[in-house]
Amino acid sequence: MTKRVLLCDDEIHILRAAEYKLKKAGYDVSIAGDGLEAWEEIQRQRPDVLITDCQMPRLDGLGLVKKVREEAALADLPIFMLTAKGFELSHDELSEKWNVCEVIAKPFSPRELLQKVNAVLEGEPMQV
Amino acid sequence: MLFRRIGTRNRRKVHDYFVALCRSDPQTEPDDAEPPPLRTGTPWDETAEVVREAISELRRRIADLERSRTAAELRSRRAAERESRMRKVFAAIADPILVIDDYDELLLANRGAEELFGFETDKAECKALARLVRCEQLVALLTSTRRRKFPANRSEELELSDAAGGKRWYRATAIKFADGEGEDQPSGGAVAVLQEVDDRKALQKRNAEFVSSVSHEMKTPLAGIKAYVELLADGEAEDEETREEFLNVINGQADRLQRLVDNMLNMARIEAGVVNVSKRPSSLNEILDEAFRVVQPSAEAKEIKLEQQLSTMYLGVLADHDMLLQAAINLLSNAVKYTSGGGSVTLRSRLADDQALFEVEDSGVGLSEEDAARVFEKFYRVKKDKQMASGTGLGLPLAKHIVEDVHGGRLTVESELGKGSTFIVALPCAAKMRGEGRGARGEGRG
Repeated sequence: MTKRVLLCDDEIHILRAAEYKLKKAGYDVSIAGDGLEAWEEIQRQRPDVLITDCQMPRLDGLGLVKKVREEAALADLPIFMLTAKGFELSHDELSEKWNVCEVIAKPFSPRELLQKVNAVLEGEPMQV
Repeated sequence: MLFRRIGTRNRRKVHDYFVALCRSDPQTEPDDAEPPPLRTGTPWDETAEVVREAISELRRRIADLERSRTAAELRSRRAAERESRMRKVFAAIADPILVIDDYDELLLANRGAEELFGFETDKAECKALARLVRCEQLVALLTSTRRRKFPANRSEELELSDAAGGKRWYRATAIKFADGEGEDQPSGGAVAVLQEVDDRKALQKRNAEFVSSVSHEMKTPLAGIKAYVELLADGEAEDEETREEFLNVINGQADRLQRLVDNMLNMARIEAGVVNVSKRPSSLNEILDEAFRVVQPSAEAKEIKLEQQLSTMYLGVLADHDMLLQAAINLLSNAVKYTSGGGSVTLRSRLADDQALFEVEDSGVGLSEEDAARVFEKFYRVKKDKQMASGTGLGLPLAKHIVEDVHGGRLTVESELGKGSTFIVALPCAAKMRGEGRGARGEGRG
């Protein structure tokens, strides 16, 4: 069964690049322009992986992650966070408190992103 | 024995002589007093000499003591004056100063320190520093400095609450001092001077935020460029159309990066007064149309209705083309950033009272009165809207610099919170108005 990936970023060109790579690899990809859109999409249909940007209008990445983790049914949803932020973001807090698989710094490699998604969905330790 | 030998009459004379000597002016040498008329060659001569010398010696000592006393009084008066002066200087220093003794008790505090920590040194019942100063960090700095073996400056930045409850940042510098002169003497204590660094701290914070937002602004287009280059390199684009699309994204993101760098460079140049301005008679509408086309893709991506309603008149302005274009792009992209999808942004131009006007009106989030007054400050970003779009807080201040300082115009904003904003630029007209063409009001170009 085709795995579903939900991509969330307010930068359309970033969404398109990641979407293009993941779709070509055979994933069913849906996209959202901010945290609220992503949350609505998650409620409509649970994805297998969530990839979200950090700084977004209306609801930011951290707000989205908190909402997701508050739902018991989504406690184990693998989440990757993309960010162009620097020192303000605590990677340790994101992984320990909110169980974020990995914080991926922008600029990022779509190829590496795909490998990370593959690894987490196959239950393999991530090696890039 | 001697007196018995010199006889009763002479004894009287000797007595009178000594009395006269003792009552005489102390400055007068005993030799100046007339000796008693005695016969010479008696033991009296020797005795009289000894007594005279003794009296001279006593008088010298008395005179020495008198001089010492006068000098001591002078020294004491000078010391009192010096101390009074030092106290006045100490009290006049605005920076709070605290001095502790060898038992970590308050020895001295100036008015600045008393006001900051809310105590009066003379009235304080308990002088323990830790009881008077409610800042563990400062107490630890002073007491640990006092315990150090050798005197050396130690500084720390700390946040203190004043008596009114307001918080301010201070830089506390402490140094140990010794009262005793010998090595075996105990140390005298330590002194701390607190210098307020609130403004500097705020500036540092704004600079750090600026660097952070600039790096964010740079990384975002770089992320696009890197991702699409990789897609192309991996052969992901299967047809010419996709390849073309990827290349367009790369180009667009490179332009975006360049605009950011230009914004920063121009801001720095204008502030340093080294900007190279080359103004030529230009068509305002042409510049506005160029800016419109630059911003169009980002408006489309957000599904914002971007419209232009340019005057049909030729609006001639004396402009540095690149700079005015940058100002117009900054105003338009600001409007697009702070307008939600489905909203509208309109670019207008017109002639008013011999001035060429253009305005950017949006149906976006709008500004409060306070934010509208501060929105042209460098690095200022409206707190509640920071999440809505990324930015450096440079676009609007730079547009204002360009319009007002470079072109002698005026940039103002009219806004209502929740309803949208209109940024209005008024520029002096460069040449006599010429018709620009096809409109009813046009007079034909050239």
